[in-house]
Amino acid sequence: MRPRLSSVLRHRVGAVSVTFLVLVAVLAVIGPWLAPYDPLQQNQDALLQGPSPDHLLGTDNLGRDELSRLLAGSRLSLLAALEAGVVGLVLGTVPGLLSVYLGRVFEWATLRVMDAFVTLPFLVFAVAMTALLGNGLTQAMLAVGILVSPAFYRVTRAAAFPVAGSQYVEAARLTGAPAWFVLARHVWPKVLPAVAVTTAATLGSSLVIVSSLTFLGIGIRPPEPTWGGMLATSLEYLFQRPTAPLAPALLVILTVGACNGLADTLRDVSGVRAPSLRKEKARAAA
Amino acid sequence: MTATLTTVPEIPTAIAPDRAPRRRRPGLALLAWLGRTLAVTVPVFLLATLVTFLLGAFSGLSPAGQLLGDAATPDDVARVNAQLGLDRPVLVQYVDWLGHVVRGDLGTSWLNGVGVAEQIGQRLEVSLSVAGFALVIGVVAGTALGVLAAVRQGSWIDRAVTVFCTLISTLPPFVVSIGLIVVFCVLFPLFPSAGYVSPTEDLSAWITLITLPAIALSLDAVSDIARQLRTGLVAAQRENYVVGLVVRGLPPRRILLRHVLRNGSGPALSVLGLRVPMLIGGAVVTESIFGMAGFGRFAADGAVRGDVPVVQGTLVVAIVVVLLFNLLVNAALVRLRPAAQRGL
Repeated sequence: MRPRLSSVLRHRVGAVSVTFLVLVAVLAVIGPWLAPYDPLQQNQDALLQGPSPDHLLGTDNLGRDELSRLLAGSRLSLLAALEAGVVGLVLGTVPGLLSVYLGRVFEWATLRVMDAFVTLPFLVFAVAMTALLGNGLTQAMLAVGILVSPAFYRVTRAAAFPVAGSQYVEAARLTGAPAWFVLARHVWPKVLPAVAVTTAATLGSSLVIVSSLTFLGIGIRPPEPTWGGMLATSLEYLFQRPTAPLAPALLVILTVGACNGLADTLRDVSGVRAPSLRKEKARAAA
Repeated sequence: MTATLTTVPEIPTAIAPDRAPRRRRPGLALLAWLGRTLAVTVPVFLLATLVTFLLGAFSGLSPAGQLLGDAATPDDVARVNAQLGLDRPVLVQYVDWLGHVVRGDLGTSWLNGVGVAEQIGQRLEVSLSVAGFALVIGVVAGTALGVLAAVRQGSWIDRAVTVFCTLISTLPPFVVSIGLIVVFCVLFPLFPSAGYVSPTEDLSAWITLITLPAIALSLDAVSDIARQLRTGLVAAQRENYVVGLVVRGLPPRRILLRHVLRNGSGPALSVLGLRVPMLIGGAVVTESIFGMAGFGRFAADGAVRGDVPVVQGTLVVAIVVVLLFNLLVNAALVRLRPAAQRGL
């Protein structure tokens, strides 16, 4: 069944998740205009302050307004997660669809490539790629996108496999429909729900990785505010301000949680079942 | 009567020659499994190492720039590159490098000239301590929660476990680490917040130092194992043989421990195998938060400094660890449920 927004919103978890994600996305877009201060502006008279009417979330070690930095950091973190999701989607779904059509050799080759990607540890690989290919989040997210692509590949294959052998696909071919038409018209709609679930889940895990990288100071230039970077700064001054990590940490947790909630709801609504790894391998071996 | 007696011996002779070769000897089955496993593992290893190597080769970084400094002329750079063999075709370099890797030689760091394998060896104890402890926490707590939820299926305990697992699975390790530091080091100073001591020096200090990072690293594994185990056990409980065992009057505890757990733990074990790359990745973050000079930190530092042999070496070690662990998990799956052999 095709997941519709209305059926997602009818679930409590789905409604809350979608609302929160929309809210964060809106804040990421219009945040810079809402921010009470310049996120980079330092203030030597207000270092490491707690929450006050002037600074709703307090200030950091250089006297910069935490709320303004949080708003400015949203855009970077969300965009990076989105980039990883899109890269994974394209790199996984396309070979996944093609592996059902192009025969044994392509299937075997892509399965091995995907197995190799699964073997590479996410964060180590992302760190390596950022450092070696230029210190930018774009490179890091390219790496993350590559590494999440096996998830897309597997769900696409699992969903496309039964359709490819079905009678209506056979009938469409017999009437002379070109392969791209069969894929777009008959196979893609069956694959879409599974891909939607994976996309939502991937956005959540990509966000964790983006935050981890920026937390380590990889992929950003120092004054630029990010959620992970703010957490790293707050950790250094933990004894002066133990509550400082709370706001950025909550924002990361809630956004990741909302992505997972959305994925769960999509799964329930569309009746997608996660394909088991073992079954998939058994099918390839058979 | 006599007619039946004469016909009976014919039946086994008709079937026997057909059946005998089909019965698998255990040794042969193991060999076949090993062959299939290698056919999958070796290409994956080659591909993963190729990616690793190409990453370094195309990075545009070279030791010449780092060794010679800014005053180097293009001729100097070319000379150093020729000395190190970096002017050869990339594939030739890869095969050469792989040959050394297979023999355990991961090259030397561009920055301090110390062997990469040696440096990793020194740091591996730290990471193995933390990751090993995290794995133990994950398996013990995950199994306890999963079994509890499956036994008390549908009760509030089951729902509480599900909610708890969903909750902790959304918590990224570095956020958990910060939370643990705030609670156990700043507000209630019970644990030290940073450092590492070898267990041979001071066992109790070792335990207290690795506890917090191990907990932070284990949460994902706890929730995954608990959820998969619950699903697996619930499915196994519905099988006919369980009804048969109940009818035969076996005590519920024995049915659970001997039969259901054995058949229902497959998915949880598979997930455990998939967790290992994430444990290694998580180590990068937790080790830098808790100030431990481990494998993950070494990889991150090497990457930040553009020390290509270090980056390649750490990735290779990570790949080998992951592949080895997957082999172990597959072997355990086959031991637990012989039917898994067919599906590898």
